[in-house]
Amino acid sequence: MMKSVWKFSIQMFFLFVIYQVGNWTARFFHLQIPGNVIGIVLLFVLLWLGVIKLEQIELASGWLLKHLGFFFIPISVGLMTLGEIFVSKGLPFLIVLIVSAFIGLFFAGKVTQTVIMKNEKEKVNYHDHAI
Amino acid sequence: MITLYSILITVSVYLFVRFLAKNYSSPVTSPVFLSTIIIITLLVVSKISFDEYMPAKTIMTYLLGPATVALAVPIYKNRDMFVKYFSAAFIGLSSGIVTTITSAILLAKLLKLSNVFVLALTVKSVTVPVATEIGRIIDGNLSLIAALVIITGMIGAMFGAKLLSLFKIHHPFARGLAIGTIAHGIGTAEAVKEGEVQGAVAGAAMGIAAVLTSIIIPFIIEFI
Repeated sequence: MMKSVWKFSIQMFFLFVIYQVGNWTARFFHLQIPGNVIGIVLLFVLLWLGVIKLEQIELASGWLLKHLGFFFIPISVGLMTLGEIFVSKGLPFLIVLIVSAFIGLFFAGKVTQTVIMKNEKEKVNYHDHAI
Repeated sequence: MITLYSILITVSVYLFVRFLAKNYSSPVTSPVFLSTIIIITLLVVSKISFDEYMPAKTIMTYLLGPATVALAVPIYKNRDMFVKYFSAAFIGLSSGIVTTITSAILLAKLLKLSNVFVLALTVKSVTVPVATEIGRIIDGNLSLIAALVIITGMIGAMFGAKLLSLFKIHHPFARGLAIGTIAHGIGTAEAVKEGEVQGAVAGAAMGIAAVLTSIIIPFIIEFI
């Protein structure tokens, strides 16, 4: 029990350090890309190069991802400060957000799926010719 | 004292909603949406303002950074798939971003919404920390931007999976990509529950969408 708490804390600390390095990198090079995105790339590269092994961070990362939604709740509570605007202009706001989100979801999903299907079909045809 | 109370209600409401969502899955029990509504109600009833809730918020979102970084793990595990579907992902992501931004702007103009609102709409699909950064660059209203981003995320988390199924989008890669592109982190949290592939792709799509959007926005703003 103590051992896994210790392991968990070290892994958490490690992820935190990578996040901070991402932030510093963004600031230092004046990048338009945010620190957390750089952190993702950095951790990916470290895993890819084999500098760190999956088992060495899986405990903490698994737990964080399982509860990813939680971290957005305190931020969302900030919506309470916009009460008045929503009472007066809420409907047009919502219409724009819902319709545009649905359009984006549809196009992103449909186009991706169509291209995947098309590519896979071409590969199959190619194999047929080869035979 | 208020901070401790705020943390306590936030965590217990979250755990309660999570339990509820496991047993009765519906758009309404989407964790971020329902928890937020219950917590706001509790805060209003206990006469706690958002300013007083702020320290609790800072403590609880402390781990959002490391949690975002942790998305590298599912991306790494599914790396072969990203190589395989690279062209599909790039085309799909770009069409999702462009259609959602243009439709939002056109609709807002049609409904005669003010320019401050139209400007904020351009970043509505970008993850919160990035959206506020872009907001600063384009001189937008930051609290309005945060609100639009969060509500968009909730819409995607609540209805995204259903909408994709309705339009026969069943490929796990395409589903994850759509949710991550449009509904960023809040959607990704929901995609993680649908499956590991969906979660990994959503996380990666969120990151790439953030980068792509910040590149596209200066061109779009010219037309507003």
